Amino acid sequence: MTPMHDALSRRGFLERSAGNLGLLALGHLLASGRPAAAGSAGRIVPGGAVPTAHRRPKARAVISLFQHGGPSQMDLFDPKPALNRWDGKPYPGGDLEVHFNQQAGNVLGAPFAFRPRGQCGMELSELLPHTGSIADDITLVRSMTTGSVDHESALRILHTGRFLAGLPTLGSWVLYGLGSENENLPAYVVLADPGGLPVDGERNWSSGFLPAVYQGTPFRSGKTPVFHLQTPTGIPADARRNQLDFLARLGRHQAALHAPDNSEWQARIAQFETAARMQGAVPEVMDLSGESAATRRLYGLDHPVTAEYGRRCLIARRLVERGVRFVQLFLSGQPWDTHDKNAERLKGLCAMTDQPSAALVQDLKARGLLEDTIVLWTGEFGRLPISQGKDGRDHNRHAFSLWVAGGGFKAGHVHGATDEFGYQSVQDVVSVHDFHATLLGQLGLDHTALHFPHEGREASLTDAEVTGARPVPALLA
Amino acid sequence: MERARAHWAFQRLSPSSPPVSPGASRAPEATPVDRFLWAALSARGLGLGPLADPATRLRRLALGVTGLPPTPEEIEAFSADVRRDPAAADRWLERFLGRPAYAERWAQHWLDASGYADSNGYFNADSDRPLAHRYRDRVIASVRRDQPFDQWVREQLAGDELAGWKPGDPVTPEIRGLLEATHFLRNGQDGSGESDGNPDEVRADRYYALEACQQIIGSSLLGLTVQCAKCHDHKFEPFTQRDYYALQAFFHPAYPIDDWVKPNDRVVEAPLEGEREAWQVAEQRWAEGEARARADLTGWLAANRPPIEPRWEDRFDAPAGLAARWSDTAPGDDRPAGSPPVVLGGSTGPAARVQDGVLQLIEGGGPGDRWLCTRESFGWRPPEVGGWIQVGFDLVALQVGDAGGEAARIGYVLAARDFSDSGPVAGGNLLIDGNPGGPSAVHLDYPGPDSKSLGAIGGQGYRAGRRYGVRITRLEQDRFALQHQVDGLPDGKPLTLSAADLPDGGFAFEFCCGRSFQVDQVRVETSPRPGTAEGEAWKVHEQALAAEVCRRDERLAVLQAQRLPRPGRVAWVSDVRPTPGPVPLLLRGNPKTPGEAVPPAFPAFLGQGPETHPVAMPTPGGRSSGRRLAWAHWLTAPGSPQAALLGRVTVNRVWQQCWGTGLVETPDNLGLSGAAPSHPELLDWLAADFIDSGWSLRHLLRRILGSHAFHQSSAPRADGLAVDPSNRGLWRYPVHRLDAEALRDLMLAAAGVLDPKSGGPYVTTPRNGEGEVLVDESVPGARARSLFLQRRRTQVPTLLANFDAPSVVFNCTRRARTTMPLQALSLLNSDFTLRRSGEMARRLERESGPGEGARVRRAFLLACGREPDPVEAAASLDFLARQRGLHATDADPAYRALADLCQSLLALNDCLYLR
Repeated sequence: MTPMHDALSRRGFLERSAGNLGLLALGHLLASGRPAAAGSAGRIVPGGAVPTAHRRPKARAVISLFQHGGPSQMDLFDPKPALNRWDGKPYPGGDLEVHFNQQAGNVLGAPFAFRPRGQCGMELSELLPHTGSIADDITLVRSMTTGSVDHESALRILHTGRFLAGLPTLGSWVLYGLGSENENLPAYVVLADPGGLPVDGERNWSSGFLPAVYQGTPFRSGKTPVFHLQTPTGIPADARRNQLDFLARLGRHQAALHAPDNSEWQARIAQFETAARMQGAVPEVMDLSGESAATRRLYGLDHPVTAEYGRRCLIARRLVERGVRFVQLFLSGQPWDTHDKNAERLKGLCAMTDQPSAALVQDLKARGLLEDTIVLWTGEFGRLPISQGKDGRDHNRHAFSLWVAGGGFKAGHVHGATDEFGYQSVQDVVSVHDFHATLLGQLGLDHTALHFPHEGREASLTDAEVTGARPVPALLA
Repeated sequence: MERARAHWAFQRLSPSSPPVSPGASRAPEATPVDRFLWAALSARGLGLGPLADPATRLRRLALGVTGLPPTPEEIEAFSADVRRDPAAADRWLERFLGRPAYAERWAQHWLDASGYADSNGYFNADSDRPLAHRYRDRVIASVRRDQPFDQWVREQLAGDELAGWKPGDPVTPEIRGLLEATHFLRNGQDGSGESDGNPDEVRADRYYALEACQQIIGSSLLGLTVQCAKCHDHKFEPFTQRDYYALQAFFHPAYPIDDWVKPNDRVVEAPLEGEREAWQVAEQRWAEGEARARADLTGWLAANRPPIEPRWEDRFDAPAGLAARWSDTAPGDDRPAGSPPVVLGGSTGPAARVQDGVLQLIEGGGPGDRWLCTRESFGWRPPEVGGWIQVGFDLVALQVGDAGGEAARIGYVLAARDFSDSGPVAGGNLLIDGNPGGPSAVHLDYPGPDSKSLGAIGGQGYRAGRRYGVRITRLEQDRFALQHQVDGLPDGKPLTLSAADLPDGGFAFEFCCGRSFQVDQVRVETSPRPGTAEGEAWKVHEQALAAEVCRRDERLAVLQAQRLPRPGRVAWVSDVRPTPGPVPLLLRGNPKTPGEAVPPAFPAFLGQGPETHPVAMPTPGGRSSGRRLAWAHWLTAPGSPQAALLGRVTVNRVWQQCWGTGLVETPDNLGLSGAAPSHPELLDWLAADFIDSGWSLRHLLRRILGSHAFHQSSAPRADGLAVDPSNRGLWRYPVHRLDAEALRDLMLAAAGVLDPKSGGPYVTTPRNGEGEVLVDESVPGARARSLFLQRRRTQVPTLLANFDAPSVVFNCTRRARTTMPLQALSLLNSDFTLRRSGEMARRLERESGPGEGARVRRAFLLACGREPDPVEAAASLDFLARQRGLHATDADPAYRALADLCQSLLALNDCLYLR
């Protein structure tokens, strides 16, 4: 029996799941993530060569560019000529499910031109010229559906699989399944908008009932990206060094005397050093001064409209480069929630996000990182073909579009279709749960086997027995 | 169902007697608990370990019972006591069980299990539950007087029905306690107060509150995952979908979906006799005192204000002159503001006219932003630092005529320049949203999507008969202070503005939202130039005024501190109607597909008893259906399988709190899908013994904490490691980390600054500008036990969250115990640990004298509950010496070194863990 296993079995919740991968992954993290052997397949757990993943993984990292509010699929990704023919006329398709029932109007035309992009000929809106340039690298899913037309609950479905609040997020599950690759950086990093928190706040990166070690760590802009990261002012570096040495000396002495076989104690002693190393590693990854002028231009750092989002996309690449497992970008509030001035606001939002998002895919590809990094661009739901008020669109849970790149997804591919007006996904429909199952699969994780005891049962991200989630092979290369 | 009927947890209790002690020499104090443990261990060739050393035992007892560490004096006394008399430990246990801290600590455990939170959750707003603390305090009181747990459960489920009390009836302390107990049923998330979606969503939000209540009952009392049966028969448990709705039928009358009462309205006034009258008298006294303090200063101002020539003024003496000085546009704007614009001299809104010597602002004409603005433009940036410009008006009335009710806001605009908001002009259009109810919001560049909220100013609400306005004073570095004024006196804290916020522009009144009002004496004044006679007189006056304001504020603060909270407001649960409607089974759990009605009934796999516990009105003419009381009586019926289950669930959770792990590792699930108990006979014996003792928690703790097993060493032994490495058999004491609250409380206690506050409203834990959630050290109660900190679901104090304090979703029957670098960062760098380390160092200086050896010794006693061994003592002295050198440039190197030592000890495993 290795010391590691012994420490784990002391933890009540783990013993019941002894032998499952989560136990091993957690052990891996508790040991503060000894760097894995080179290569992405088969994480090594201290004490034994046990692969943490279920299957041979195609991807080892995820960058999620989350687009809060529900981007309008018929104006961006899913051309619907019928909308312009029926513009201003009553919607002919019968009742629609709306969120704000007092303001439902007639069909609202989609004013932006679509044209085929890339060799694959994927039709994309003129608002997304840069996304058009990576058309051959992405999988566009036009037939997404979700379970709620309410922002908070739809966000929760997208991030946690359930509309209830407070459950573990996708990033937490991925981390639970795969562990960490870099001991000096948190494995699940959230790059929130410096302008403010997204709707539903910190819950978007909660670890829910999974241990807190799996929660996302927000990196804030500015000098202290992580709470309590820097040594407080007034403490000389050598005094802190001496204190860390003292802690290590006493810690080892006490462990030998009072808990010689306790690896939790060992891990905690080591973590004072980890914490000290994070003080260097975190600012380093946030420092873009070493990036070339060409790279900075690619992400739009030279233009005020794209600079902020571009900076975060670039940091996302740097994090993944350094072994961070899951990076999540958010926008402040829910800007894509275009209840009024839909067309006008889409222009501004695309101007801000289109170039940096595409740059991230291009840059990852150029560096050979796209192969095993998944980039996901999605909102929580879509929008309606009819107007809300004069010029807005209301929420739509029956159809939305997302794109995903890298990590073994089928490049230059359009999956699924909606009806004539883009109200409902009708062909090759993909639920959020299906998408989760597919994504986990690419990381080498079987969504039905990635579970954790909670509320008396084995809880999972996809809850396949209830949701019927299954991976979608058609999305994969 | 056959399996379910045979499942161990659903059986009546028929405990076997504790195995006869094998008489092994290593277990001299074989209590019943020891005998059960010993029997299981000896079957595997193992035994219990030797006693731990006295200091270690005392630390376990003190932290286990009270959640606070033993004092150095107690450590000394305990060691001496148990050396003299091995049975002395029991007397110490008794001493700890008698302390208020015991009640607080064990209340915290029940608050976890019952899902207590100070916020409603569900929606992002996570709105406040200002009265929830009464339930928290009621839990503490229940533990303190060792109320029989079955009675406590009945009170939480149906205290109102037990009391048979109606609003308006006389209230005794007992009755109020019963009403407060029902808050248990509203601990779940409830967004129905903010729900604003379509009717289906509103309905689903209501159901959620009821379902959360059921889920908490399931996991905290029944040890069952009832929520799975909401949509379908339970896959693993005998609990059917029909059982779920039959259970719902007991609680539905308190949460009737179609007769919904929002959370804020689920409040009842239940003041004790004389309490309300005493409060009213005190409030009257407070109001008079406040009015006097304010009037005194207003009088002083009237007598002492030097004369000043206004920069601009309108007394509204002539009806005809309005258009000459006022306009529907801003100075320089090319179009009227709004459509239709304000008609000057008109009588139908939107209009402005002079009537009886005052200006009437008459709202109307549909939605849209409109203003009445001065034709003159003013410079809002005073030229020299300390210079000011102020504008004010007499508020004559909050309405015009009788129509429309009083205005909800008195809006006015400074630096008005861009009414049409046609271009993205930044700055100006500074709207002050004068609020009758409290502070007034300030918006920059209003209206339009680029409008920005700057915060709020003032605090006294807008009332007719007083004078309101603002003063802008130039500060250093091109910044400006925006100060709210009432009757010419500063009101509340100022906001800071930049020069770009204050372009030249007019002064305007806002028309909006049916808010008509009347004003008079609009005056713009600027500070007299310094150096002039007028300027000097004003300088002297302003200094005198500041002193007078200070004096008044002190008077107000004293009065405010003496104010009593409104007595007797209780957030409770009671049936909305005595005769409830049908409760439908929801197909697939969906509120949109109701099925057949389900009457209240008990699940078939547990004991029946509608005959013995009839659903009946508790009192003739009462206001309740009696259903909840019937369910409570059923659950706790003596000798029944369900009471046995409640006993097992409770004993198991208590065991878990004592050892870190329960006899059943899944405290919220004792059903078929839960974990099997490690010691089934012990669990049943303890449950039976607990019930026989009158459901006494103190008795149960004496059984567990008085055992040899609890006092045995945690040291590893070869035989134990080989046979039972996970220590489920408890051949040694299991090392485990303290929970977040105990860690924070320990640091406060070690520092000697723990606030004895026990009860009352929570201590707020705001999120600071950086996003960190922490207690403001300057507020009262900042150093109170963690139990009294605000428990907002979305705002868990960062330090506590790092150590696995839950963000409460339903409830928390077991804490996670993670080990992660963020904890190390908190211990090394957080403001909290640095402050406590410094305070602890000062305490050592005070209490241990100048000798460093004595200081080190006491530091170890405070942090680790024991004396340092020679290696630690030497290492510590060496550390202090070296650290003094490294802090040589500091004003007090010895103190800094000592503080660093304290911080290190508080961060060590030997402090963070029980072993």
